[in-house]
Amino acid sequence: MTEPTFEQAQRELEQIVERLEHGRAPLDEALALWERGEELYRVCAGRLDAAQAKIEELAKRVEASRPSE
Amino acid sequence: VKVEAAQYGDRRVYSVSAFNRGVADWLSRLPTVWVEGEVTELKRQRAWASVFFTLKDPTDGACLPVSMARGQFDALQLNLAEGERVHVYGRPELFAAKGDFRLRALTVERFGVGDHLAALERLKKKLAAEGIFASERKRALPFLPTTIGLVTGNDAAAKRDVLTTITTRFPPAHVVVAETYVQGPRAAREMIAALRDLCSLGVDVIVLARGGGSFEDLLPFSDEQLVRAVASCPVPIVSAVGHEQDTPLCDLAADVRASTPTAAGRLVVPDLDELTTRLRALRNALERGTRRALERERERTDRLHERLSRAPRLALERKRAAIEQTAGRLRALSPRATLTRGYAIVRAGDALVQSSTQVQPGTLVDVELAEGGFGARVEETR
Repeated sequence: MTEPTFEQAQRELEQIVERLEHGRAPLDEALALWERGEELYRVCAGRLDAAQAKIEELAKRVEASRPSE
Repeated sequence: VKVEAAQYGDRRVYSVSAFNRGVADWLSRLPTVWVEGEVTELKRQRAWASVFFTLKDPTDGACLPVSMARGQFDALQLNLAEGERVHVYGRPELFAAKGDFRLRALTVERFGVGDHLAALERLKKKLAAEGIFASERKRALPFLPTTIGLVTGNDAAAKRDVLTTITTRFPPAHVVVAETYVQGPRAAREMIAALRDLCSLGVDVIVLARGGGSFEDLLPFSDEQLVRAVASCPVPIVSAVGHEQDTPLCDLAADVRASTPTAAGRLVVPDLDELTTRLRALRNALERGTRRALERERERTDRLHERLSRAPRLALERKRAAIEQTAGRLRALSPRATLTRGYAIVRAGDALVQSSTQVQPGTLVDVELAEGGFGARVEETR
């Protein structure tokens, strides 16, 4: 299975949370959903961390290339 | 005048002298008229009885030799410059001895301001009708010209103003200066040549500048050929010539008109500092925007995670509550709850008494209540 995109992961996480909050899921399924939700959260957070790292790196490179004033 | 001809058979043949006299006679019958043109090749010598000059048509270069009695000419005290425009009042004449045709001038009038104004107005109307000044013709100036052409006088303040403005605003700008006459009869021709030269050098915008001047000084900038050259120039032209009051026609034909040479300099190059500052601000905004987008997503994800963490416990609590509720309902259905409503359980021995046929008078029964119980004896059955 290919890694979901950030948006896909976030959307699925959203759906899981909503389903859990409605409380209609059987207990066993609720536990499974929770586990899946945590996994999706890790995917999302990982993507965000990577994006953050990229921003910092670019900002640093721009700072370095700026002519001294 | 009677012109004698020799007879050769049936052919009448005139002598040169007779022919010239004959034509001269014919010409002398033409009316005296005013002719307009530019004075060139003015020749005046003390020894000569006449002064000579050539009257030139500025539009197509057609020439007309003119002679005038020296005394009359001197009396006018015109002090004419080469190329100056005049009105000559005279009659066509053939100088019989040489067969030279010319206009014999009776008087010469310098082209006055009023005449210039009238001529300018006519020219303006004509060029406007051709669409030379039409706004659809105007081209946009290049944002960052690689090479800028500047046509100006050789030591003009205008030149300094344009150059200073350009190099202050945009130090790397490359300006090619074409110094020409910017007033007098040669100015228009030279400026046309300068425009052509600059274009062939590959400039991508041209500034035509002159820091004001008298009405006469600015006349070359309304020269028909120059105005046409400005309009048809392959690269955009900024004209910075005119005053507030009178606008030379080249200002109207140019792609952009600048009020002063300094303004022209500002128009052709952007301000590098300003540009750099704006670019930097844009880059910063780009970074801010990206960070904000990231922050937004992070907050949203964190919120989701928080809800996710609470959700199973919530679900569990809800399940527990549901169980409690069911248990409550279960409990409500137990017999003890019924007893609290005033009912009693009657047993005879181990058997529940549900019918009067199970007992008879004298049977001992056990009665159970919500709280405690008692033994009893049956009195009668019904």
